[in-house]
Amino acid sequence: MDFKLGEKEEALRKGIREFAQKELPSECFCLLLEEESRDEDWKLAMSISKKLAQKGWLVMAWPKEYGGQGASYWEQMVYGEECGYWGIPGVAMGVSGVAWVGPSLMQFGNEEQRKKYLPLIASGEADGVWCTAYSEPNAGSDFANIQTRAVRDGDEYVINGQKVWTSCAHRARWCWLAVKTDPGAPKKHRGISIFMVDMKSPGITVNPLLNYHDAHIFNEVFFDNVRVPASNLVGEENKGWYHLMQSLASERHSLGPPLYGNARRLLDELAGYAKEIQHDGKPLSQNLGVRHMLADAVVEAEMLKLFNYQVTWELTQGLIPIYGSSRNKAFGDQLLERIGIIGMRIMGAYCQVDPYSKWTKLHGIIQRVYLLSPGISIAAGTDEIEKNVIGQFKLGLPKSY
Amino acid sequence: MDFKLSEDQEMLRSLARDFLTKECPKAKVRELENDEKGYDPRMWQKMAELGWLGLVFPENYGGTGGTFLDLVLLMEEIGKNILPGPFFSTTVCALPILEYGNEWQKAKFLPQVANGTAIWALAVIETLGGYKASEIKASARVGDGHYIIEGTKLFVPNANVANHLLVAARTSEDAEGVAMFIVDANSAGVEVEVIPTIAQDKQCQVTFNRVEVPEGNVLGDVGGGWDIVEFILDRAAILKCAEVSGGCQAVVEMTNAYAKDRVQFDKPIGSFQAIQHRLVDMFVNAEGLQYLVYQAAWEISTGFPSRLHTSLVKAKAGEVYQRTCLDAIKIHGATGFTKEHDVGLYFRRVKASEFAMGDSDLWEERVAAELGL
Ligand SMILES: Cc1cc2nc3c(=O)[nH]c(=O)nc-3n(C[C@H](O)[C@H](O)[C@H](O)COP(=O)(O)OP(=O)(O)OC[C@H]3O[C@@H](n4cnc5c(N)ncnc54)[C@H](O)[C@@H]3O)c2cc1C
Repeated sequence: MDFKLGEKEEALRKGIREFAQKELPSECFCLLLEEESRDEDWKLAMSISKKLAQKGWLVMAWPKEYGGQGASYWEQMVYGEECGYWGIPGVAMGVSGVAWVGPSLMQFGNEEQRKKYLPLIASGEADGVWCTAYSEPNAGSDFANIQTRAVRDGDEYVINGQKVWTSCAHRARWCWLAVKTDPGAPKKHRGISIFMVDMKSPGITVNPLLNYHDAHIFNEVFFDNVRVPASNLVGEENKGWYHLMQSLASERHSLGPPLYGNARRLLDELAGYAKEIQHDGKPLSQNLGVRHMLADAVVEAEMLKLFNYQVTWELTQGLIPIYGSSRNKAFGDQLLERIGIIGMRIMGAYCQVDPYSKWTKLHGIIQRVYLLSPGISIAAGTDEIEKNVIGQFKLGLPKSY
Repeated sequence: MDFKLSEDQEMLRSLARDFLTKECPKAKVRELENDEKGYDPRMWQKMAELGWLGLVFPENYGGTGGTFLDLVLLMEEIGKNILPGPFFSTTVCALPILEYGNEWQKAKFLPQVANGTAIWALAVIETLGGYKASEIKASARVGDGHYIIEGTKLFVPNANVANHLLVAARTSEDAEGVAMFIVDANSAGVEVEVIPTIAQDKQCQVTFNRVEVPEGNVLGDVGGGWDIVEFILDRAAILKCAEVSGGCQAVVEMTNAYAKDRVQFDKPIGSFQAIQHRLVDMFVNAEGLQYLVYQAAWEISTGFPSRLHTSLVKAKAGEVYQRTCLDAIKIHGATGFTKEHDVGLYFRRVKASEFAMGDSDLWEERVAAELGL
């Protein structure tokens, strides 16, 4: 047993802290999925992603030849934690490119694809921004139920169908797309393939979908006879499902450390706020209810931290985390929701103020977490689905659906 | 013991349901959120004609002589449907006028409320946002035949369209030295600014710059203002909770329908026990809240309110509404996160209802005090 991180990781932590203090506007705290909504936030995110690229951090896990640093799992984890703590925008460049398109191409793409797309992502430029289009109106949790079709026509595939909830499609240059290539396959997950599609292709229509608080995070995307070169097929035709299971594991794994970082920062901010606000001549921090709410949340944050450490450690041992990423995602979602809830309570009447108005406290971060948390818990696999995975694959329970 | 409504109450309820469905569909709710006034004057006039605005006033003040329980049933329907506008704020100002007003005040102000010509807003809370007498810093100094009010009020609902404000202001330094003033919203020195809120419900900051208020506009006794605030709180909290209870019922209903309808893995998602049990918890809590509201409302109607029973409701309602909406969104999946879906309209109102009329901290404290703690 050893619960200490190495000097290298601590130095990285310090470096990121200095970077955040130097490069970010003082009120900036960006949560997952927030950067793509407002133009000013997106602009900032893209300027930061370039700086992260220059620092060699943006794709630190990748091998040097693709623009990375071959950073260790521990460094990646610390980077994730700190980016979450400081709310650094631009880290994911939308959502997909850094976290799973790149890793997936390294796992099952071909060399030509790696050479073309990885440097674009690694540069932190707008041409390296991706969206991911899996979900459809009738294929959410039951993702294998997708209907969007790709049909081979000479050197090309022709794509038709509709995707929905596609985050960042309005910012992305490329789309990481799952389609049906064999609708007649005996099992529905057997006929799926992955394509990389240029978002500028004729036949693509992106319609914004606003969330209930007017944030423009996701979109519906229509494909109407969109022609894609056959060389943009990733991995094997009809093997997409199996490829994507690997890809989704990268996706979920990437979420734990920033969620922990977010959580710790929010709790620090709330503790600071509670010390400052006086009720009846006493700071709110003296209120037992407030103290206990914050303490409980800190305990859970610590659990999440250790869950992240444990999965990271498994990776360093060459083990494949079977359930840990699902655990960390679901646990992290629940923690963020809880912090949103207690944060709103601590803010008192001000919690109902629009996060961007002049009456808001703590730059609106508490309202933003609160409003965003249900979406975060649904995105990339709902809590129920993650728990199904844990029940089935860790506890060995019979499949429940 | 009887859980059944009277025939008149059933009629009021079904009339309200029909009216709101027809006059205030969700498209209208959305339109009013973005409307500068935040309510529809035409609809307001129709509500007056239905007798809703003076529901609990005696006939001589233009009312229809209904009970507090009737009003609660109406609020429940309003919550179920969502009706943006100043009904709640006007009602919670009219109730204390009916109770504490002198004959001149009642005769002057109540008929205008009943016939829809006057909108009211309650201006009590300030920068700390709580309902505690000690938090009232706005002052009322004695002038020559009038009072001079100075200070700032926050989270005053619908002040942007109010004709009258009911204002709590400090008349002496001792803790509860507060009086309630009826202030003409058009008086010189009254400044209103709409606070952008998550609910887009037109809560305002109201600043009083040396506002002159005639002596005759003090409601009740000068030293007794805080008793009036307490009177308002008890009733207004129950009305707010009735609205919340209606909201919870609507959200449970739409979620239940969705769980039956939405198919994933070739089955309605409602067949998954993870969903079923979550939905059952939502349902049971909404039902429990409904009974807490009815009990307290009935007691107020009979003239024997119980402080414990009144306090319980508001201590619980916020949490139930929040849990109901969060779970409802999750059961809907990404659809529930969108602007188009109605569940978000309810979710965005959760905090506004929790912080109207004292948050759960305040009411839990009262419950604790009632336990002798
Ligand atoms: C903010 C946000 C961003 C997103 N971004 C993207 C994106 O970029 N690209 C993309 O492709 N998709 C994206 N999604 C979509 C997301 O992946 C889906 O919403 C998610 O998989 C759930 O699908 P659904 O919304 O159709 O809900 P459904 O699958 O219809 O689920 C509804 C409810 O049923 C439950 N349920 C379903 N099956 C089971 C079961 N077997 N057992 C128990 N409970 C079950 C769910 O947990 C949920 O509570 C995003 C979603 C959100 C909210």
